[in-house]
Amino acid sequence: MLYALCLLLFVVGLYGVVTKKNVIKIVISLVIMGYAVNLFLIMLGYREKGVAPIIDQTTEAAKFAQTSVDPLPQALVLTAIVIGLGVTALMVAICIRLYERYGTFDITEMRKLKG
Amino acid sequence: MNIIPLFVAIPLGMAFFIPMVGRKARKLPDLLGNLTTLVLLIMSLSVIGKSGIYWMGGWSPRSGIPIGINLVLDGLSGFILVTVSLVSFMATLFSVQYMEQYTSKLHYYSLFLLMVAGMNGVVLSGDMFNIFVFLEIASIASYALVGFGCRHEELEASFKYLVLGSIASILILFGVALCYAMTGTLNMAHLGQLIRGDMNPPILLALTFFLAGFSLKAALVPFHAWLPDAHPSAPAPISAMLSGVLIKAIGIYALIRVIFNVFGLTPLLSSILTTLGTLSMIVSVLLAIGQWDLKRLLAYHSISQIGYVILGIGLGTPLGILGGLFHLINHAAFKSLLFLNAGAIEYTTGTRELERMGGLNKKMPVTGSTSIIASMSIAGIPPFNGFWSKLIIIMACVNAGRFGLAGWAVFVSIMTLASFMKVQKYAFFDELKKARERVKEVPALMCFSMILLAILCVTMGLLWHSWVVDLFLGPARDVLVAGTNYAATVLGN
Amino acid sequence: MIELLGLLLIFMIIGAIIAVETRDLLASVICVGAVGFGASIAFLLLRAPDVAIIQIVVEVLVLVILIRATISRDLTAISGDREFFGMVVAIVLLFVVFLFGMRVFEHLPPFGQPAIETLAQSPARVYIESGLRDTGAANLVTSVLLDYRAYDTLGEATVLFTAILGALAILRKKARKRKEDREEE
Repeated sequence: MLYALCLLLFVVGLYGVVTKKNVIKIVISLVIMGYAVNLFLIMLGYREKGVAPIIDQTTEAAKFAQTSVDPLPQALVLTAIVIGLGVTALMVAICIRLYERYGTFDITEMRKLKG
Repeated sequence: MNIIPLFVAIPLGMAFFIPMVGRKARKLPDLLGNLTTLVLLIMSLSVIGKSGIYWMGGWSPRSGIPIGINLVLDGLSGFILVTVSLVSFMATLFSVQYMEQYTSKLHYYSLFLLMVAGMNGVVLSGDMFNIFVFLEIASIASYALVGFGCRHEELEASFKYLVLGSIASILILFGVALCYAMTGTLNMAHLGQLIRGDMNPPILLALTFFLAGFSLKAALVPFHAWLPDAHPSAPAPISAMLSGVLIKAIGIYALIRVIFNVFGLTPLLSSILTTLGTLSMIVSVLLAIGQWDLKRLLAYHSISQIGYVILGIGLGTPLGILGGLFHLINHAAFKSLLFLNAGAIEYTTGTRELERMGGLNKKMPVTGSTSIIASMSIAGIPPFNGFWSKLIIIMACVNAGRFGLAGWAVFVSIMTLASFMKVQKYAFFDELKKARERVKEVPALMCFSMILLAILCVTMGLLWHSWVVDLFLGPARDVLVAGTNYAATVLGN
Repeated sequence: MIELLGLLLIFMIIGAIIAVETRDLLASVICVGAVGFGASIAFLLLRAPDVAIIQIVVEVLVLVILIRATISRDLTAISGDREFFGMVVAIVLLFVVFLFGMRVFEHLPPFGQPAIETLAQSPARVYIESGLRDTGAANLVTSVLLDYRAYDTLGEATVLFTAILGALAILRKKARKRKEDREEE
């Protein structure tokens, strides 16, 4: 059920990328798609009644190994979030430059390219 | 000292280093950039035929479970490394004078080396998520380089490329997540071991995502929409890099590595690949013929030639794989040469429209003659390299009993020939236009890199059987033919 | 806990739909901020405090960048969408994708039972069991990030560097030395 909601979020983002013609809207939709995938990854690592993957002195090792959530997806998502930030920054830089050139954010009005 | 991580470390380190020291002297960025690619070329030539595995940070597998990230050098990755280094060295050589037209060469070289580092990282990595990370480095650098000129159409092409490229990256990440959900591992070899024979729906969905994502990066029809805009818009050496190696290293290589060595080639996958390849070949060659913008025409031909590569490899027979891989390195040589020719023409005449050129052969003998060699190579005229690889692919189709595919391959080859006869006629042989009376040959280094690539085309055509096949293609083919045995080779059990 | 997460996800989806559909760009940017902060809370509920923190930081940066791009523009309200036919095709296709994805997702391990529980050969199990001994870091995410998979983190830093360098290259004032004569054609 939760996975399905995550997929729905992904599809909403995809819908935005496919149908919108404002460049900022497209950037936003891509950001949303990124969130959906990140959330999906973190959900994969969740364990029912789990604890955060931080060892404290009081819990014993065996019990911790039974209850900790999966740390690997969290590390992956940390990387993926930062990569997403980089892509977004570059995209917005291009958007700003496009706005300077064309005076609009609308891709249908940017038609220097044929086809 | 293990040499494998240096393939990533050297370009990465230099990419950080050049912006720091580059302002000290005017020629320093050129020197450092060329030196780096030359060193990489020598290194990649020195590892031919070798293989090795390097566990990053010394985290070697513990009781058979890979806990760290590994770099895998085998026949296939060595082969792609050589291709990448070869074209990137020629491109930096060409850049020295060509990029004088643009400002901020520092950024240019830094981004260029980051792109090379990203590609080398993808090619050497043995870990799915790590492939995603390095693919992003190469892609982001290429997005920025496509828009480097900051003209209208360049920015627009860059944006289009960025959006489609980001969708591809997100799909690939989704695929990695699905694989992780089902197997709990990210290492490609381990993944291959765990899913062997067990293609449950999530794994199939992951495979679909990988197929779509990497096809987007490789610009196979119907995922090709960005390429005819992005490749012509970039500065010429970057066009040569993008068409010559980027779509191969982060598209084709990753695709065939995942399909052959992780999931294993099934008949269904084989027919999907051959269909994608044939579609790419036919559709884009037909689109190419009508083009009058020289670089755009070349870009469409890139898709079509990539179609040959995928067709050959997708057949799955040793001969087909050999032909596909041979065509891959041939295409890297002649297509980057053609893009450099187009760049040389643009450099002197300032135009890319075929109708506004004409008779340039008299004024630019080096560009003209190298371009004839490249055109004959791509069109498949014996004894140039393109002829042999196309011949092998067609023979492989016939051997596999796929006569229809062989027929299409011949048809596309003829169309390619027609298209390049048009290029030669309009650009180099027609009457010299009045406005072009004062056109001169391009500077020496640009000529030099074009001549080197032309020599490469000729020698690979003449020595292909004794030299190219034994040294490069044989080991690379063996890796793909071995299929999912890759896991055993890497993990050693 | 699951209900709460479900509500949060529904909130995020509504926010995403508004962000995609609204006519005002600034409102759209703010909605995407809401979605991002929702994601951050979801990470917290899923026992991923490090990710939640990074998500907030990155979200703020993304918002700043996006608002910088939109706020000083005269034209933030936007005109209509693509033509009707294309919209219908897109929606039908995406619906098919969604239904197909749902069918596939039924085969995933159920929520709350991650791969480390069911699969013995997962490297994550090694991290949990011997991460402290191997790396000396009490926070296992850090031990994965900075030790077992430090190479990924190097790549991550490089991506950021590349993106900044690329943005600088794109935003530089003058791109060509020669007069841009072809621009006027």
